[in-house]
Amino acid sequence: MAPKRSLGRQKIKMAQIQKKSHLQVTFSKRRVGLFKKASELCTLCGVDIAIVVFSPAGKVYSFGHPKVDSVVDRFLTRKQINPMPTNLHLVEAHRIASIPDLNLQQTHMRNELEAEKKRRETLDEMRKASQNQFWWEAPIEDLNLHELEQLKDSMEELKKTISIQANKLFLENSNSVPIFGTNNVIRGDGEYYEMKPNPIISASCTSSHVHSYGYGHGLF
Amino acid sequence: MTRQKVKLAFITNDSARKATYKKRKKGLMKKVNELSTLCGIDACAIIYSPYEPQPEIWPNNIGVQHVIARFKRIPEMERSKNMLNQESFIRKQVTKTNEQLKKQMKENREKEMTEVMYQCLTGKGSIENLTLPDLKDLGELVDQTLKDISRRIESLKIASPNEAAAAAPPLPQAVVGGSSSSMVVDNVSGRDEMQRGTQTTQWFTDWMNNPSEQNLGLGPNRIWPHPFFPDC
Repeated sequence: MAPKRSLGRQKIKMAQIQKKSHLQVTFSKRRVGLFKKASELCTLCGVDIAIVVFSPAGKVYSFGHPKVDSVVDRFLTRKQINPMPTNLHLVEAHRIASIPDLNLQQTHMRNELEAEKKRRETLDEMRKASQNQFWWEAPIEDLNLHELEQLKDSMEELKKTISIQANKLFLENSNSVPIFGTNNVIRGDGEYYEMKPNPIISASCTSSHVHSYGYGHGLF
Repeated sequence: MTRQKVKLAFITNDSARKATYKKRKKGLMKKVNELSTLCGIDACAIIYSPYEPQPEIWPNNIGVQHVIARFKRIPEMERSKNMLNQESFIRKQVTKTNEQLKKQMKENREKEMTEVMYQCLTGKGSIENLTLPDLKDLGELVDQTLKDISRRIESLKIASPNEAAAAAPPLPQAVVGGSSSSMVVDNVSGRDEMQRGTQTTQWFTDWMNNPSEQNLGLGPNRIWPHPFFPDC
Protein backbone atom coordinates (compact mmCIF):
# COMPACT_ATOMS: atom_id res chain seq x y z
CA MET A 1 0.00 0.00 0.00
CA ALA A 2 1.44 3.38 -0.99
CA PRO A 3 2.48 5.61 1.90
CA LYS A 4 -0.04 8.31 2.84
CA ARG A 5 1.23 11.63 1.59
CA SER A 6 -1.10 13.85 3.58
CA LEU A 7 -3.79 13.63 6.23
CA GLY A 8 -6.50 13.57 3.59
CA ARG A 9 -9.97 14.91 4.11
CA GLN A 10 -10.63 15.77 7.70
CA LYS A 11 -13.67 17.40 9.16
CA ILE A 12 -12.75 20.77 10.63
CA LYS A 13 -14.54 23.04 13.00
CA MET A 14 -16.04 26.10 11.35
CA ALA A 15 -14.45 28.63 13.65
CA GLN A 16 -11.34 30.74 13.49
CA ILE A 17 -8.21 28.64 13.50
CA GLN A 18 -6.17 29.10 16.64
CA LYS A 19 -2.68 28.23 15.49
CA LYS A 20 -1.18 31.06 13.46
CA SER A 21 0.89 28.91 11.14
CA HIS A 22 -2.07 26.69 10.42
CA LEU A 23 -4.15 29.75 9.72
CA GLN A 24 -1.62 31.11 7.22
CA VAL A 25 -1.39 27.83 5.35
CA THR A 26 -5.14 27.47 5.27
CA PHE A 27 -5.54 30.97 3.94
CA SER A 28 -3.05 30.41 1.11
CA LYS A 29 -4.51 27.11 0.05
CA ARG A 30 -8.15 28.10 0.31
CA ARG A 31 -7.60 31.39 -1.43
CA VAL A 32 -6.19 29.59 -4.46
CA GLY A 33 -8.98 27.05 -4.33
CA LEU A 34 -11.56 29.81 -4.15
CA PHE A 35 -10.13 31.61 -7.16
CA LYS A 36 -10.01 28.33 -9.01
CA LYS A 37 -13.70 27.71 -8.37
CA ALA A 38 -14.48 31.26 -9.43
CA SER A 39 -12.49 30.80 -12.63
CA GLU A 40 -14.36 27.61 -13.40
CA LEU A 41 -17.69 29.31 -12.81
CA CYS A 42 -16.74 32.01 -15.28
CA THR A 43 -15.69 29.51 -17.92
CA LEU A 44 -18.65 27.20 -17.51
CA CYS A 45 -21.41 29.75 -17.13
CA GLY A 46 -20.04 32.92 -18.64
CA VAL A 47 -20.70 35.19 -15.66
CA ASP A 48 -18.93 38.30 -14.40
CA ILE A 49 -17.41 38.04 -11.00
CA ALA A 50 -15.26 39.81 -8.46
CA ILE A 51 -13.78 38.42 -5.27
CA VAL A 52 -11.77 40.44 -2.80
CA VAL A 53 -10.00 38.91 0.19
CA PHE A 54 -7.63 40.31 2.76
CA SER A 55 -4.88 38.10 4.09
CA PRO A 56 -4.24 37.70 7.83
CA ALA A 57 -1.29 40.03 7.31
CA GLY A 58 -3.49 42.63 5.68
CA LYS A 59 -2.45 42.13 2.05
CA VAL A 60 -5.25 42.29 -0.47
CA TYR A 61 -5.85 39.61 -3.11
CA SER A 62 -8.50 39.91 -5.76
CA PHE A 63 -9.85 37.89 -8.63
CA GLY A 64 -12.20 39.23 -11.27
CA HIS A 65 -13.69 38.49 -14.63
CA PRO A 66 -13.42 40.30 -16.94
CA LYS A 67 -11.66 42.66 -14.50
CA VAL A 68 -11.98 43.23 -10.78
CA ASP A 69 -12.33 46.99 -11.18
CA SER A 70 -15.12 46.90 -13.76
CA VAL A 71 -17.24 44.54 -11.68
CA VAL A 72 -16.60 46.44 -8.45
CA ASP A 73 -17.41 49.78 -10.06
CA ARG A 74 -20.50 48.33 -11.61
CA PHE A 75 -21.65 47.29 -8.15
CA LEU A 76 -20.88 50.70 -6.68
CA THR A 77 -22.59 52.71 -9.33
CA ARG A 78 -25.52 50.31 -9.65
CA LYS A 79 -25.87 51.33 -13.22
CA GLN A 80 -27.85 48.99 -15.36
CA ILE A 81 -26.80 50.70 -18.55
CA ASN A 82 -24.16 48.23 -19.75
CA PRO A 83 -25.18 44.82 -18.51
CA MET A 84 -23.05 43.21 -21.20
CA PRO A 85 -19.44 44.32 -21.60
CA THR A 86 -19.90 45.77 -25.07
CA ASN A 87 -17.06 48.21 -24.61
CA LEU A 88 -14.36 45.58 -24.49
CA HIS A 89 -11.21 46.87 -25.99
CA LEU A 90 -9.39 44.80 -28.53
CA VAL A 91 -6.59 43.98 -26.07
CA GLU A 92 -9.04 42.65 -23.60
CA ALA A 93 -10.77 40.63 -26.32
CA HIS A 94 -7.44 39.00 -27.15
CA ARG A 95 -6.80 38.29 -23.53
CA ILE A 96 -10.15 36.66 -23.03
CA ALA A 97 -9.80 34.65 -26.23
CA SER A 98 -6.71 32.95 -24.86
CA ILE A 99 -8.59 31.53 -21.89
CA PRO A 100 -9.93 28.32 -23.48
CA ASP A 101 -6.47 27.46 -24.71
CA LEU A 102 -5.02 28.08 -21.27
CA ASN A 103 -7.69 25.94 -19.66
CA LEU A 104 -6.75 23.15 -22.03
CA GLN A 105 -3.07 23.51 -21.18
CA GLN A 106 -3.84 23.33 -17.49
CA THR A 107 -5.98 20.22 -17.90
CA HIS A 108 -3.30 18.46 -19.97
CA MET A 109 -0.59 19.39 -17.52
CA ARG A 110 -2.60 18.17 -14.55
CA ASN A 111 -3.15 14.84 -16.31
CA GLU A 112 0.55 14.52 -16.97
CA LEU A 113 1.26 15.24 -13.34
CA GLU A 114 -1.15 12.56 -12.20
CA ALA A 115 0.49 10.08 -14.54
CA GLU A 116 3.93 10.88 -13.16
CA LYS A 117 2.63 10.51 -9.62
CA LYS A 118 1.32 7.04 -10.47
CA ARG A 119 4.67 6.19 -11.98
CA ARG A 120 6.38 7.27 -8.79
CA GLU A 121 4.20 4.90 -6.80
CA THR A 122 5.03 2.06 -9.14
CA LEU A 123 8.73 2.76 -8.86
CA ASP A 124 8.50 3.01 -5.07
CA GLU A 125 6.79 -0.37 -4.94
CA MET A 126 9.50 -1.90 -7.11
CA ARG A 127 12.16 -0.49 -4.85
CA LYS A 128 10.49 -1.78 -1.73
CA ALA A 129 10.11 -5.26 -3.18
CA SER A 130 13.74 -5.37 -4.26
CA GLN A 131 14.97 -4.10 -0.91
CA ASN A 132 13.26 -6.95 0.85
CA GLN A 133 14.66 -9.47 -1.58
CA PHE A 134 18.33 -8.64 -1.93
CA TRP A 135 20.63 -7.55 0.87
CA TRP A 136 22.70 -5.26 -1.31
CA GLU A 137 19.68 -3.22 -2.28
CA ALA A 138 18.92 -2.34 1.32
CA PRO A 139 19.65 1.21 2.44
CA ILE A 140 23.34 1.79 3.03
CA GLU A 141 22.76 2.45 6.73
CA ASP A 142 21.52 -1.11 7.16
CA LEU A 143 24.63 -2.80 5.81
CA ASN A 144 27.54 -3.97 7.86
CA LEU A 145 31.16 -3.33 7.02
CA HIS A 146 31.65 -6.59 5.14
CA GLU A 147 28.66 -5.98 3.00
CA LEU A 148 29.62 -2.39 2.37
CA GLU A 149 33.08 -3.34 1.18
CA GLN A 150 31.64 -5.98 -1.09
CA LEU A 151 29.06 -3.61 -2.47
CA LYS A 152 31.71 -1.00 -3.02
CA ASP A 153 33.77 -3.38 -5.10
CA SER A 154 30.81 -4.33 -7.23
CA MET A 155 29.92 -0.71 -7.73
CA GLU A 156 33.42 0.07 -8.88
CA GLU A 157 33.25 -2.77 -11.35
CA LEU A 158 30.03 -1.35 -12.64
CA LYS A 159 31.60 2.05 -12.92
CA LYS A 160 34.33 0.64 -15.15
CA THR A 161 31.79 -1.19 -17.26
CA ILE A 162 29.82 1.97 -17.73
CA SER A 163 32.79 4.03 -18.77
CA ILE A 164 33.85 1.40 -21.29
CA GLN A 165 30.42 1.33 -22.79
CA ALA A 166 30.24 5.10 -22.75
CA ASN A 167 33.54 5.39 -24.55
CA LYS A 168 32.36 2.87 -27.08
CA LEU A 169 29.20 4.83 -27.80
CA PHE A 170 31.07 8.08 -27.78
CA LEU A 171 33.40 6.84 -30.46
CA GLU A 172 30.57 5.40 -32.51
CA ASN A 173 28.56 8.59 -32.31
CA SER A 174 31.33 10.96 -33.18
CA ASN A 175 31.74 9.04 -36.39
CA SER A 176 28.17 9.66 -37.39
CA VAL A 177 25.65 12.10 -35.95
CA PRO A 178 26.67 14.60 -33.26
CA ILE A 179 25.35 13.31 -29.94
CA PHE A 180 23.78 16.53 -28.81
CA GLY A 181 21.23 16.41 -31.55
CA THR A 182 19.56 13.23 -30.39
CA ASN A 183 16.01 13.09 -29.22
CA ASN A 184 16.78 11.79 -25.78
CA VAL A 185 18.54 14.83 -24.47
CA ILE A 186 16.49 16.35 -21.72
CA ARG A 187 16.33 20.11 -21.90
CA GLY A 188 16.04 21.65 -18.52
CA ASP A 189 16.26 25.20 -19.67
CA GLY A 190 13.13 26.46 -18.02
CA GLU A 191 10.85 25.83 -20.97
CA TYR A 192 8.20 23.20 -20.91
CA TYR A 193 9.64 19.77 -21.61
CA GLU A 194 10.11 19.36 -25.32
CA MET A 195 10.02 15.61 -25.27
CA LYS A 196 9.69 13.11 -22.49
CA PRO A 197 12.67 10.78 -22.12
CA ASN A 198 11.74 7.27 -23.19
CA PRO A 199 11.35 5.29 -20.01
CA ILE A 200 13.96 2.62 -19.67
CA ILE A 201 11.74 0.57 -17.42
CA SER A 202 8.36 0.10 -18.96
CA ALA A 203 5.97 1.10 -16.27
CA SER A 204 2.49 0.83 -17.66
CA CYS A 205 1.24 4.30 -18.00
CA THR A 206 3.86 6.53 -19.56
CA SER A 207 3.78 7.55 -23.16
CA SER A 208 5.97 10.02 -24.87
CA HIS A 209 4.19 12.72 -26.71
CA VAL A 210 5.62 16.00 -27.65
CA HIS A 211 4.67 18.97 -25.54
CA SER A 212 4.50 22.01 -27.67
CA TYR A 213 3.01 24.42 -25.21
CA GLY A 214 4.34 27.84 -25.74
CA TYR A 215 2.75 31.05 -24.56
CA GLY A 216 0.62 31.32 -27.63
CA HIS A 217 -2.03 33.98 -27.48
CA GLY A 218 -4.53 31.85 -29.20
CA LEU A 219 -6.13 34.34 -31.43
CA PHE A 220 -4.28 34.00 -34.72
CA MET B 1 -23.65 12.55 -5.82
CA THR B 2 -22.07 11.00 -8.90
CA ARG B 3 -18.68 12.37 -9.85
CA GLN B 4 -18.67 13.31 -13.51
CA LYS B 5 -15.67 14.89 -15.10
CA VAL B 6 -16.90 18.24 -16.38
CA LYS B 7 -15.21 19.63 -19.40
CA LEU B 8 -13.90 23.11 -18.70
CA ALA B 9 -15.75 24.91 -21.46
CA PHE B 10 -18.81 27.12 -21.76
CA ILE B 11 -21.94 25.05 -21.28
CA THR B 12 -24.00 25.50 -24.39
CA ASN B 13 -27.12 23.82 -23.11
CA ASP B 14 -29.12 26.64 -21.49
CA SER B 15 -30.84 24.65 -18.77
CA ALA B 16 -27.71 22.72 -17.90
CA ARG B 17 -25.81 25.97 -17.68
CA LYS B 18 -28.37 27.56 -15.42
CA ALA B 19 -28.44 24.50 -13.15
CA THR B 20 -24.65 24.46 -12.96
CA TYR B 21 -24.62 28.15 -12.21
CA LYS B 22 -27.03 27.77 -9.31
CA LYS B 23 -25.07 24.91 -7.77
CA ARG B 24 -21.63 26.36 -8.22
CA LYS B 25 -22.61 29.81 -7.14
CA LYS B 26 -23.94 28.35 -3.91
CA GLY B 27 -20.74 26.38 -3.44
CA LEU B 28 -18.59 29.40 -4.14
CA MET B 29 -20.40 31.51 -1.56
CA LYS B 30 -19.98 28.71 0.93
CA LYS B 31 -16.25 28.67 0.25
CA VAL B 32 -15.90 32.43 0.72
CA ASN B 33 -17.77 32.11 3.98
CA GLU B 34 -15.49 29.33 5.16
CA LEU B 35 -12.36 31.25 4.22
CA SER B 36 -13.53 34.30 6.08
CA THR B 37 -14.55 32.38 9.19
CA LEU B 38 -11.57 30.03 9.42
CA CYS B 39 -8.99 32.73 8.87
CA GLY B 40 -10.82 35.62 10.46
CA ILE B 41 -10.41 37.88 7.45
CA ASP B 42 -12.43 40.35 5.40
CA ALA B 43 -13.78 39.03 2.14
CA CYS B 44 -16.54 39.65 -0.35
CA ALA B 45 -17.91 38.21 -3.58
CA ILE B 46 -19.97 39.78 -6.35
CA ILE B 47 -21.47 37.78 -9.19
CA TYR B 48 -23.41 39.18 -12.14
CA SER B 49 -25.38 36.62 -14.06
CA PRO B 50 -27.74 36.88 -17.04
CA TYR B 51 -30.45 35.35 -14.89
CA GLU B 52 -30.95 38.27 -12.51
CA PRO B 53 -30.51 42.01 -12.80
CA GLN B 54 -29.20 42.23 -9.25
CA PRO B 55 -25.82 40.70 -8.47
CA GLU B 56 -25.45 37.79 -6.10
CA ILE B 57 -23.29 38.91 -3.24
CA TRP B 58 -21.59 37.73 -0.08
CA PRO B 59 -21.83 38.46 2.77
CA ASN B 60 -24.52 41.13 2.37
CA ASN B 61 -24.83 44.64 1.04
CA ILE B 62 -23.24 46.33 4.01
CA GLY B 63 -20.51 43.70 4.25
CA VAL B 64 -19.59 44.11 0.60
CA GLN B 65 -19.56 47.90 0.88
CA HIS B 66 -17.25 47.65 3.86
CA VAL B 67 -14.78 45.36 2.12
CA ILE B 68 -14.80 47.35 -1.09
CA ALA B 69 -14.25 50.57 0.85
CA ARG B 70 -11.22 48.98 2.49
CA PHE B 71 -10.15 47.73 -0.93
CA LYS B 72 -10.36 51.21 -2.46
CA ARG B 73 -8.30 52.67 0.37
CA ILE B 74 -5.35 50.55 -0.66
CA PRO B 75 -3.12 52.46 -3.13
CA GLU B 76 -3.65 51.37 -6.69
CA MET B 77 -0.16 49.93 -7.16
CA GLU B 78 -0.60 47.64 -4.22
CA ARG B 79 -4.10 46.70 -5.25
CA SER B 80 -2.85 45.61 -8.67
CA LYS B 81 -0.03 43.55 -7.27
CA ASN B 82 -2.18 40.60 -6.36
CA MET B 83 -5.03 41.34 -8.72
CA LEU B 84 -5.85 38.52 -11.06
CA ASN B 85 -8.19 37.91 -13.91
CA GLN B 86 -8.96 34.54 -15.41
CA GLU B 87 -6.12 34.64 -17.88
CA SER B 88 -3.41 35.62 -15.40
CA PHE B 89 -4.74 33.21 -12.81
CA ILE B 90 -4.74 30.23 -15.14
CA ARG B 91 -1.31 31.11 -16.44
CA LYS B 92 -0.02 31.05 -12.88
CA GLN B 93 -1.62 27.68 -12.37
CA VAL B 94 -0.06 26.33 -15.53
CA THR B 95 3.38 27.51 -14.45
CA LYS B 96 2.97 25.99 -11.02
CA THR B 97 1.76 22.66 -12.37
CA ASN B 98 4.58 22.61 -14.88
CA GLU B 99 7.11 23.05 -12.09
CA GLN B 100 5.53 20.25 -10.12
CA LEU B 101 5.60 18.10 -13.23
CA LYS B 102 9.26 18.75 -13.92
CA LYS B 103 10.15 18.05 -10.31
CA GLN B 104 8.23 14.80 -10.32
CA MET B 105 9.75 13.71 -13.61
CA LYS B 106 13.23 14.40 -12.30
CA GLU B 107 12.48 12.45 -9.13
CA ASN B 108 11.09 9.56 -11.14
CA ARG B 109 14.10 9.56 -13.40
CA GLU B 110 16.37 9.20 -10.37
CA LYS B 111 14.27 6.36 -9.04
CA GLU B 112 14.35 4.69 -12.41
CA MET B 113 18.10 5.06 -12.60
CA THR B 114 18.38 3.38 -9.22
CA GLU B 115 16.50 0.39 -10.59
CA VAL B 116 18.74 0.28 -13.63
CA MET B 117 21.83 0.52 -11.47
CA TYR B 118 20.89 -2.45 -9.32
CA GLN B 119 19.86 -4.45 -12.35
CA CYS B 120 23.17 -3.83 -14.05
CA LEU B 121 25.00 -4.58 -10.83
CA THR B 122 23.72 -8.11 -10.81
CA GLY B 123 23.92 -8.59 -14.52
CA LYS B 124 20.18 -8.75 -14.88
CA GLY B 125 20.09 -5.60 -16.93
CA SER B 126 22.20 -4.91 -19.92
CA ILE B 127 23.89 -1.58 -20.25
CA GLU B 128 24.05 -2.00 -23.99
CA ASN B 129 20.52 -0.72 -24.32
CA LEU B 130 21.31 2.56 -22.67
CA THR B 131 21.89 5.74 -24.56
CA LEU B 132 24.76 8.06 -23.88
CA PRO B 133 22.76 10.49 -21.73
CA ASP B 134 21.40 7.51 -19.78
CA LEU B 135 24.91 6.25 -19.21
CA LYS B 136 25.96 9.66 -18.01
CA ASP B 137 23.15 9.79 -15.46
CA LEU B 138 23.81 6.23 -14.42
CA GLY B 139 27.49 6.97 -13.99
CA GLU B 140 26.70 9.94 -11.80
CA LEU B 141 24.39 7.84 -9.67
CA VAL B 142 27.05 5.16 -9.25
CA ASP B 143 29.55 7.84 -8.31
CA GLN B 144 27.21 9.29 -5.73
CA THR B 145 26.45 5.84 -4.33
CA LEU B 146 30.15 5.08 -4.06
CA LYS B 147 30.64 8.32 -2.17
CA ASP B 148 27.85 7.40 0.23
CA ILE B 149 29.25 3.92 0.73
CA SER B 150 32.76 5.19 1.40
CA ARG B 151 31.45 7.75 3.83
CA ARG B 152 29.50 5.07 5.66
CA ILE B 153 32.50 2.75 5.73
CA GLU B 154 34.60 5.51 7.24
CA SER B 155 32.10 6.29 9.93
CA LEU B 156 31.80 2.62 10.82
CA LYS B 157 35.55 2.28 11.03
CA ILE B 158 35.75 5.28 13.31
CA ALA B 159 32.97 3.94 15.49
CA SER B 160 34.53 0.53 16.04
CA PRO B 161 38.12 0.25 14.84
CA ASN B 162 38.46 -3.28 16.32
CA GLU B 163 35.82 -4.58 14.05
CA ALA B 164 37.53 -2.98 11.11
CA ALA B 165 40.79 -4.77 11.86
CA ALA B 166 39.00 -8.08 12.15
CA ALA B 167 37.24 -7.71 8.82
CA ALA B 168 38.77 -9.74 6.04
CA PRO B 169 40.23 -7.48 3.39
CA PRO B 170 37.96 -8.00 0.43
CA LEU B 171 39.88 -9.13 -2.59
CA PRO B 172 38.48 -8.54 -6.02
CA GLN B 173 38.56 -12.30 -6.55
CA ALA B 174 36.53 -12.86 -3.42
CA VAL B 175 33.85 -10.63 -4.72
CA VAL B 176 33.88 -11.93 -8.21
CA GLY B 177 34.92 -15.54 -7.71
CA GLY B 178 33.53 -18.12 -5.39
CA SER B 179 35.56 -18.49 -2.20
CA SER B 180 33.38 -17.46 0.67
CA SER B 181 35.44 -18.81 3.54
CA SER B 182 36.24 -15.41 4.90
CA MET B 183 32.72 -14.08 4.35
CA VAL B 184 30.02 -13.94 6.94
CA VAL B 185 27.49 -16.55 6.03
CA ASP B 186 24.45 -14.51 5.41
CA ASN B 187 21.70 -14.48 2.89
CA VAL B 188 23.13 -17.35 0.93
CA SER B 189 20.88 -17.27 -2.08
CA GLY B 190 21.28 -13.54 -2.39
CA ARG B 191 25.02 -13.81 -2.21
CA ASP B 192 25.15 -16.43 -4.91
CA GLU B 193 23.24 -14.17 -7.21
CA MET B 194 25.59 -11.35 -6.43
CA GLN B 195 28.61 -13.47 -7.31
CA ARG B 196 27.00 -14.85 -10.39
CA GLY B 197 26.12 -11.39 -11.52
CA THR B 198 29.56 -9.97 -10.98
CA GLN B 199 31.08 -12.91 -12.75
CA THR B 200 29.72 -11.56 -15.96
CA THR B 201 31.83 -8.49 -15.34
CA GLN B 202 34.89 -10.54 -14.46
CA TRP B 203 36.11 -10.55 -17.98
CA PHE B 204 36.19 -6.78 -17.81
CA THR B 205 38.43 -6.99 -14.78
CA ASP B 206 40.74 -9.34 -16.63
CA TRP B 207 40.58 -7.19 -19.70
CA MET B 208 41.40 -4.11 -17.69
CA ASN B 209 44.48 -5.77 -16.27
CA ASN B 210 45.57 -6.69 -19.75
CA PRO B 211 48.20 -4.34 -21.07
CA SER B 212 46.57 -4.21 -24.49
CA GLU B 213 43.95 -1.85 -23.16
CA GLN B 214 45.48 0.85 -25.26
CA ASN B 215 43.20 -0.21 -28.08
CA LEU B 216 40.31 1.83 -26.81
CA GLY B 217 42.40 4.66 -25.58
CA LEU B 218 42.01 3.80 -21.94
CA GLY B 219 44.96 3.46 -19.63
CA PRO B 220 47.94 5.75 -19.34
CA ASN B 221 48.03 6.84 -22.95
CA ARG B 222 44.45 7.92 -23.06
CA ILE B 223 43.43 9.18 -26.45
CA TRP B 224 40.03 10.48 -25.48
CA PRO B 225 39.47 12.56 -22.39
CA HIS B 226 37.23 10.64 -20.10
CA PRO B 227 33.85 12.25 -20.62
CA PHE B 228 32.07 10.97 -17.55
CA PHE B 229 34.53 10.17 -14.85
CA PRO B 230 37.01 13.04 -14.90
CA ASP B 231 38.58 11.86 -11.69
CA CYS B 232 39.06 8.32 -12.99
